[in-house]
Amino acid sequence: MADLRVDLCGVTLKNPVIPASGTFGFGREFHELYDISVLGGVATKGLTLEPRAGNPTPRIAERRGVILNAVGLQNPGVRHFIEEDLAWLREKTKVIANVAGKEIGEYGQICALLDGKVDFIELNISCPNVKCGGMAFGIRPENVEQVTRTAKAALKTTPLIVKLSPNVESIAENARAAERGGADAVSLVNTFTGMAIDIERRRPILANNTGGVSGAGIKPIAVRMVYEASHAVKIPVIGMGGIACAEDAVEFMMAGACAVEVGTQNFTDALACPKIIAGLEAWCDAHGVGRVRDLIGAVRMNG
Amino acid sequence: MVETRATVLENVRIAENIYALTFATEQPVPIRPGQFCMLGVAGFPLRRPIAVCKAEGERVTVCYRVNGRGTETLARGYRRGHTLPVLLPLGNGFYVRGEERRIAVVGGGVGVFPLISVIRAYAGEKEIYAYMGFRNRAAVCMQYELQRSKELVIATDDGSFGTRGTAVQALMEDFGRVKPDVILSCGPLPMLRALKNAVGGKVPAYVSLEERMGCGVGACLVCVCTLTNGAHARVCKDGPVFDLMEVDLDG
Repeated sequence: MADLRVDLCGVTLKNPVIPASGTFGFGREFHELYDISVLGGVATKGLTLEPRAGNPTPRIAERRGVILNAVGLQNPGVRHFIEEDLAWLREKTKVIANVAGKEIGEYGQICALLDGKVDFIELNISCPNVKCGGMAFGIRPENVEQVTRTAKAALKTTPLIVKLSPNVESIAENARAAERGGADAVSLVNTFTGMAIDIERRRPILANNTGGVSGAGIKPIAVRMVYEASHAVKIPVIGMGGIACAEDAVEFMMAGACAVEVGTQNFTDALACPKIIAGLEAWCDAHGVGRVRDLIGAVRMNG
Repeated sequence: MVETRATVLENVRIAENIYALTFATEQPVPIRPGQFCMLGVAGFPLRRPIAVCKAEGERVTVCYRVNGRGTETLARGYRRGHTLPVLLPLGNGFYVRGEERRIAVVGGGVGVFPLISVIRAYAGEKEIYAYMGFRNRAAVCMQYELQRSKELVIATDDGSFGTRGTAVQALMEDFGRVKPDVILSCGPLPMLRALKNAVGGKVPAYVSLEERMGCGVGACLVCVCTLTNGAHARVCKDGPVFDLMEVDLDG
């Protein structure tokens, strides 16, 4: 029986598997299917200071091996989350509150509201689907550093994870910028900006025209980026991007991730996360790996 | 709501481009009229949300239109004995309180199929008046199930079968005589809008909506519709059935 526990910024997760923000709500719906306390943690739907209605529909499209989404941060607002969902969710597992602001100051305000109430904050500076706020702060390293610094200044106790966009010149540079700004960890990758066109109607499928690409098809790019980021910084890296099974999670951990987030696969298989957790344990046992944390960064590069 | 492995019993063409898939779940699943399932087609990241047409114990029938690569694979690649993952039952379904005596069901295109689950559930105890619209003769199917209704009018756009016109037109011709206590409907948006224009506010009416979905359980907020009060509702979890007067069909 392998030890699946991992340490993330001084907090022990019972295993490294976390449903990714935006695919899992606040956990209540999936809890009707399985006990979500088996999860290492839950990354919440992106929270903003005020409630947001999100984008028009269609908000989702599918292409070979990937999906595109443009939900646009629909959420009931951070205060509603704190009042209605937080206590329930925190009883079950570690809470990673994903937050987004429409200006830099707003990131600070949201962080201040959540400080000490959640296990981690995951700063969404990379949502590609919102015109104002989100990816605007996630592209240039100096902006990444600035928004990280603002958020960190508002936090007394809660560790800060900065979620990086892959739509950048250098993921290593942006990871270093987050570290300089005071991030306690980085998570990557968020979705790649893409487009899918309905050729009969000669229009993009998504009402938003463009959306974030996720799913199995992006995995090799995400693994490469996690490898590069983990070698660029000393803080922990959380890996994600197309993880569909335990072997995928192992691959990300070997690339340098100390925990993984699972997104699109929750749609393909609602039981994806518990299956990956069980599969991780089986894989470790079959490979003589006593502690899953021994896989972190275990890849040996050729030549 | 369970995630289960479905074994295909039958997957047959029943009309032009329309297939009926009957599968057996691992255990009996109670399914209410108007609920749906998310079917996993191998090789496709998103599940296909499809309304349940018939359900008896572990035996479930869904009908679908081939409308893209996913449903094409479903129609061509799945034969008796093959298995596929399915999540069900999902959504609220058509809610009938009990005191209604006369139920009018108004369906168009693939919207006919969830209404068959209503007819099967209530034909014994209620008077069902069915108004079903199809494009043409080649699209007409499931007549045996539809005929469980007290009265059935089939309408085709070109008049090649039944009466010429739409299901809503057929309903309105009978409306004064039948005096339905409630109307349950499913079909393309233009049909639902016509229904709202014709009977909105005159009699309780509930419509089942369709939208591209992500998770199917209410977590991802992909499949929202707009309510008349301006709020968003999740088609998969708060619906797919909504009060006709509470949902904005023009958004």
